[in-house]
Amino acid sequence: MEIYAGLEPEAKQLVHEHSEVVARLPLTFLVFTLVDIRKWSSLFQPEQRYFRALFEQLSAFDNPQFESVFGDLSHFEVKVGCERARAADPMTARAELENSLRSKGAYAEWRSRIDAIFEKLEPLLDARLYAPSDLGPRLVVMIYGQGVAIERETLWKRFREAAVRVPLSLGAAQTTAPFLAELFTGLPPSAAANAAPTLFQALAWSKGYSPLDSWIIEAGDGLHALCEQKAREINGAPGVTGVSYDRLRAYRERLSDAIYSKVTSANLAGPLELEAWLETLDAKPQEGFTLHSAPVVLDFVRDILVLGGNGSLIINNSFVEWSSVRALERAHPRVLVARFGVRDKLKPFSSLLLFSKPRSSDVIPMMEDPLGSFVDVELLSYYIWLKSSLALPYKGQTMYVLAAEGVDEVMVVPPGGPATASEPKETAKPPVSEPASLSDVAATMAEWLGTRFAHSPGKPLATLLA
Amino acid sequence: MDWLVKNRDVPGCSAALGAARLSSPDPHPRNRPNRGSGLGRRDLLRVVAAFIADHVLPRRGSAKSFQDYSKPRHHAVIVTFGGGCRYQDTLAPEGWPNIPHITQDLVPQSFLYPAAFNQGITGHFNSSAALITGNWQYVDSFGSEPPRTPTLFECLRKERKLPPEETWVIATNKSFSLIGASGERQFGAPYSANVILPKQLLLEAIHQAVSAEKGPGVEDREAFYKQMLSALDEGYESYGWKVHPSKHNLDEPLKASLEKALLDFFNDPRVPSSGDELTFFMAKEVMARFAPALMLVNFWDIDIAHYGSYSLYLQAIERTDRLVWELWQTVQASPEFRDRTTMFVIPEVGRDGDVHGNGFANHRSGDDSCRRVWLLACGEAAPKRAGAERPIRHIDIAPTVGAILGCKLPEAQGQPLLELAI
Repeated sequence: MEIYAGLEPEAKQLVHEHSEVVARLPLTFLVFTLVDIRKWSSLFQPEQRYFRALFEQLSAFDNPQFESVFGDLSHFEVKVGCERARAADPMTARAELENSLRSKGAYAEWRSRIDAIFEKLEPLLDARLYAPSDLGPRLVVMIYGQGVAIERETLWKRFREAAVRVPLSLGAAQTTAPFLAELFTGLPPSAAANAAPTLFQALAWSKGYSPLDSWIIEAGDGLHALCEQKAREINGAPGVTGVSYDRLRAYRERLSDAIYSKVTSANLAGPLELEAWLETLDAKPQEGFTLHSAPVVLDFVRDILVLGGNGSLIINNSFVEWSSVRALERAHPRVLVARFGVRDKLKPFSSLLLFSKPRSSDVIPMMEDPLGSFVDVELLSYYIWLKSSLALPYKGQTMYVLAAEGVDEVMVVPPGGPATASEPKETAKPPVSEPASLSDVAATMAEWLGTRFAHSPGKPLATLLA
Repeated sequence: MDWLVKNRDVPGCSAALGAARLSSPDPHPRNRPNRGSGLGRRDLLRVVAAFIADHVLPRRGSAKSFQDYSKPRHHAVIVTFGGGCRYQDTLAPEGWPNIPHITQDLVPQSFLYPAAFNQGITGHFNSSAALITGNWQYVDSFGSEPPRTPTLFECLRKERKLPPEETWVIATNKSFSLIGASGERQFGAPYSANVILPKQLLLEAIHQAVSAEKGPGVEDREAFYKQMLSALDEGYESYGWKVHPSKHNLDEPLKASLEKALLDFFNDPRVPSSGDELTFFMAKEVMARFAPALMLVNFWDIDIAHYGSYSLYLQAIERTDRLVWELWQTVQASPEFRDRTTMFVIPEVGRDGDVHGNGFANHRSGDDSCRRVWLLACGEAAPKRAGAERPIRHIDIAPTVGAILGCKLPEAQGQPLLELAI
């Protein structure tokens, strides 16, 4: 079996360095790990660190420890007959093993054994990966773009028990551009905002953040426009990685065309073959990136749109949520801004045909769905919080800010929020009763991250930082 | 038995019934028909439909003239409330606004099992196949293999010596081509159900329409209707349908019935456009034309949740709720079915939980939310305004239906639901 075929040199080297323990690993654990590391250059640094730590931890086990972690899975593999397949590469080997487990009705049982292994491994890996100094403050901002039909009575209802509501006095920041500018520069529209850097630039200059430490993922491109403007005015780098669903339109259409051609071709046997074809589809985005566009980011976007599922290619807010969750899991940014928008309504009939494009002769225009978008983003923003707040490096270290453009309040989940997502607890923070300004919120976010806006009139909200 | 999962949140049946009584009578005005324009043309089409229905198509009465078998007295309709929906979004109190017809109209005349568990693979094909075989199925999730053990359709047809038109699968899910019969040598194709996949016909016609740059495409319903008729003329076998010809020359009546279903679909004032709505109209026509003993009606629109839009998912649940209610009304309006039919409504699978799973968009985590659903039984064999809190399984449905229809499933692992009158 050539399960090591196709591994990039760094991945091969890692496996070679730990060849003794690799030879002892249960087959399914080994194959699935090889699939994860095979494209080493497509992994973000935290992922590379994770896999190095994993192999080091495995090599550090003595025999009883190894048996205690992997014994159950090894016995299970023998029982169900997981055999060394004759697959040509790790991907094929994984597919064969999965099919075999499913056809034997053993997949769920296998999955529970894998989960049990990681329950034992994760604390050990966390201890290896995160020194206290690595667990610095993090910030996640989730914004509902203008046009989403906000229902004030139910707004952010899933966060109510965990968060503090802050009334706002918006002043002139009633619409998208001034709202975003004040929130991310700390200067209200009336001030000489042109010379002010963005939060991302301030962090790059004062704290040495790399562009991969700060991410913007948005349905539209309002934040991209702000960052581009500030980079021009200050004659500096934007200091942030940016992904915009709108700006990826041409790339998305190219992907849709390719997939539509494939699914309507006569030589496609079924979904599994389609999945295998998608894995090999070499179509990285070449357009739509005006902020940081390292190769690893382009690979990330390709994977989100091509392999991510979850409607990322079809619905803007699904793209924002899924990209945000994956970025937090994979790249561990210190700052992430997820900005949702209004999704289009599905057209009757033609929307049933996945990946097809409207025809030039179609007369029914695209229509937006502001009410449906609100229902969607209420749950999707909750998912971003839920998926990140329970795991290091975000657990207990992260301030979550929820804002809606043109709405005179924000919701803040202070750091050290709920102990468990399933049982949110009161954070015991006193409510904020006096209306704050967006500059105050900006100053609070900056203060939490250890920097300041030099010319901002905003004052950090102490109750959120205490 | 480890499948007896503890469910602290399972509301008592009485609680569900109580809530149904307390709910407002019509909280969903948006479900009211949309009286659009173009009535003149629709009126004309209705006249044509009435003409076809009354003068051209063979009716049930005339079909009986060549009936040379003993038609079963009892009917069963198994409905998958499908595509996968979570308990919390449907039968849990916070889900009641999404299923007004089930909670207000059906529960009071049904027997409710609020805790039904899928313990097998949580994909659509295997889950649905479990419902009609009484066994957990572990075949290809995308329907390239038939179920491994005999289906209700085969057992019923073999034991009762029934022709193909007595058992039907009408499925929105395109991968259900092979669900009508198992791969068992002693059963299989000779005893299979007829399987029709209306959405495939729809998709094929849409594909044809959008492939041409000119022409009215799919936006002109009348032109699109003609396009679908034309697609039907070209032979439905190419859409994955498995309709088994009998010596009664079934094809022409079937084709005429489906044409009538298409006409109703395109003329409906609510301007339907989803796969499940077409499935409903075709199911209705098959019932009217053949009055089958056993039907599996597979709704699937809810699976739009994979797009990641919670609002579209909730809309699909509301639509399925309405279609289930209309299907039940169809049963009640037919002398052939009324008082002789038991309808079972069950989501074939749940969807992942927010905290322990991957969220509503998926149904792959295997967590409790992905496995725990509910079963509603109404009609002849179902006591009204009652329920049982004990957990049941998907594989218990087939032996129950077998007992109602008078056939045995020799290989079923499931147990008949003895609370029902079987």
